[in-house]
Amino acid sequence: MKLWVLRGLKKGMLTTKFPKEQPTQDELSRKSFPPTPSKVSDWERGRLICPTGAIQYDSQLAKSEIDLGKCIYCQRCSSAGFEFPETRDSTSALKATFATNGDSAYESDERLLFEKYSKLWKSFKKSFHVLMIDVGSCNACNFEVLNLSNPYYDFNRLGIFFTNSPKHADALIVVGALNKAMVDVLKRTYDNIPSPKLVISVGACSISGGIFQNTESFASPVRKVIPVDVVVPGCPPTPIQILQGLLIATGRIKTTESFVRAPTDIEETSEQEEEEKNEGSSSFKGVSG
Amino acid sequence: MLRKFVEQIVGASPISKAIQLSAVFKIAGEHDDDGRDNKEEILAIWADIENNKTILSLVPSVEELGRKPETLLLCQSSLSFLPLLIKSLYSTPGSQIDLDAHGLAEGYGIFTFLYGPVTFGVPEAGGFKFVTYGERIVKVAPTINFKRRGIEQSIVGMKPDEALLLVERSAGNFSASYSTCFATAVEDSLRIETPEAAKWIRAVAIELERIYNHLHAFAREAEAATQSVAANQVHALKERVLRLNAKYFGHRFLFGFNEIGGVKCDLSSREDREELFSSVREIAKEFSEIVDYFLSSRIFLDRLQNTARLSKEDALSLGAVGPVARGSGIDWDDRQSYPIEPYSDIFVPLETSNDGDAMGRMMVRIREVASSTVAIEELLDRLPAGKTKKGAGEKNAEFQSTLSFSATTTTSSLTQSDFSLCRIESPSGDLIQIVKLDKRGRIKSLHIRPPSFANWLSFAKSLEGNVFTDFQFSFESFGLSYADSDR
Ligand code: SF4
Ligand code: SF4
Repeated sequence: MKLWVLRGLKKGMLTTKFPKEQPTQDELSRKSFPPTPSKVSDWERGRLICPTGAIQYDSQLAKSEIDLGKCIYCQRCSSAGFEFPETRDSTSALKATFATNGDSAYESDERLLFEKYSKLWKSFKKSFHVLMIDVGSCNACNFEVLNLSNPYYDFNRLGIFFTNSPKHADALIVVGALNKAMVDVLKRTYDNIPSPKLVISVGACSISGGIFQNTESFASPVRKVIPVDVVVPGCPPTPIQILQGLLIATGRIKTTESFVRAPTDIEETSEQEEEEKNEGSSSFKGVSG
Repeated sequence: MLRKFVEQIVGASPISKAIQLSAVFKIAGEHDDDGRDNKEEILAIWADIENNKTILSLVPSVEELGRKPETLLLCQSSLSFLPLLIKSLYSTPGSQIDLDAHGLAEGYGIFTFLYGPVTFGVPEAGGFKFVTYGERIVKVAPTINFKRRGIEQSIVGMKPDEALLLVERSAGNFSASYSTCFATAVEDSLRIETPEAAKWIRAVAIELERIYNHLHAFAREAEAATQSVAANQVHALKERVLRLNAKYFGHRFLFGFNEIGGVKCDLSSREDREELFSSVREIAKEFSEIVDYFLSSRIFLDRLQNTARLSKEDALSLGAVGPVARGSGIDWDDRQSYPIEPYSDIFVPLETSNDGDAMGRMMVRIREVASSTVAIEELLDRLPAGKTKKGAGEKNAEFQSTLSFSATTTTSSLTQSDFSLCRIESPSGDLIQIVKLDKRGRIKSLHIRPPSFANWLSFAKSLEGNVFTDFQFSFESFGLSYADSDR
């Protein structure tokens, strides 16, 4: 037993200073930065290259944006002139994590979150129990969520804990591309969580289907099935980004414009869903400049 | 003739996957040049398929295949439960086999329940149907398919480099193995000369991946034994490996470092390599210190020893692979038994244990962390100089390879081989991929035999007779991933 104590002392403190201080470059691993258009960006070529349809461009409507909920950070678009800064000051990196382009659907984001949950924020501060549900991930997102409890991120210090049962949960973390076989399971899990409850959708897969959006068994983005409060883009997002998502959900990080709240457009009939899919509409977009 | 049959087997969709899998193993056997003629067997299998027999009648018996690991996958055994297991593995998404209908869930005190798919004991979407008697597990049927994404089906018709993005996301924590396996197979059939250096860098990535997965398995075991101080220390080591991945390969889970014809990262500077290696060595050293503490802890050892025992015979007949097989005393490791470059050039010790229990598998993993460190040292030390990417340095080369990959390959280069196969020793064992390209260089079919898939049966067998509280130890010691088997 003594040996463990000694070892612990020898190692010193590993835990990140986030959220008191900005995370270091090391903690935001390199590909956590989204692509940014530069002067030489060829939007049309980018649109063709992008495997997930994250680059949206229409010359007639003069529409050009990068949908961060779809981007998997594959860096293919770098050949079309999009930049992937390797170093970036972490403040802007974090902002981009939850960026919105001011799409009208999100204008009232923070207010909604505030209205819905602000009364609870005080009690969440000491004890916030999250349940992770995998609805079809590749396991990398699961790893990253589990990593939140390792000494480098240690979210227990912020009063956030994992729980095993929906009945004890305050929030649901959803990872993975919603599989048809999991739709019902997801709904039932959600129903079993006592209200009020928060839902945090982690990873490109759960936000939009990511790279799996064209596979046969992909049902729909998670927010079409249960109401989602905060999204964390990335493939997979780094633990710091997920932690930030959790802190935003509990009102611990105040932001003015730096997070997205997905609209709760739950489909009643499958027909509507079909239409949605055909239009290829995506409800939140990333920064474009 | 043989090839034609194999192609039909691999490419045809309505055929039971069990057959595809045994076909894979037969091709593998053929590639081994061991002189055995598989033609008759495949013909027989094909005839069975045409006669629409059930899955089971198509599974060859142990005697027919000989007791060689590479020829065994889903073989008939004396286990009466096996048919049900196989059915449950191939069932439609989310469905469970009806145990009651088979008389297995009957009797005084027998209790059945479903574990999963939402449980923290298994952080993935997958379930188990348990049949228990008191605390004892009588039978267990894994229920996979909750998250099958159908990657093999959806990449048909894609360009190989587009497909790579999906393939490497089959199992995020085995992504280096998956992408290397796929890229190597595609390069083989396109006859692309991959630079030496790229192949060596891929091997470094695979070994790093092995290290972090083994650390993860160990930490989860320690967590299950409520040794949380130690578990967190190992989790911290794992985090350090992930950060090394990010630093040198550009991604914490090694996504996107591979491409067809080379790798994107650059380890050409000696300082970089030395720095990388000294970090890895430090991690391995700290890990071995933690392990030493551990092996003196009776509480931990008691939980592992004699838990989920898998005999060598069972491991052979159920087709176990990877650390599971090696933990039961089967000396099979693709890095030695089926080496691709550069494993044929370097020495990787083969670690086995004869215990066959959770402890044996854990010991194999612990020693493999050390052997991977040695391998990384050799790989980095002797890394061939030169470019890491085909056509690197030429202007716009990357864009060319991204957008018009197929246009740059001539049709003639595609005619030599019909399909190509690659086997990689992933952290959980033997990963096999068979790729077939069409004339334009697009994917015609891909068949993946994931390592976890091969181990489900062994897992179910080994749990019989254990108490339910040992479930976590058994599960983590097998290193099973649902994402992997539900590719
Ligand atoms: S990095 Fe994102 S935007 Fe760029 S090609 Fe990949 S998915 Fe598309
Ligand atoms: S978002 Fe990326 S890392 Fe996460 S589950 Fe999907 S493919 Fe895997």
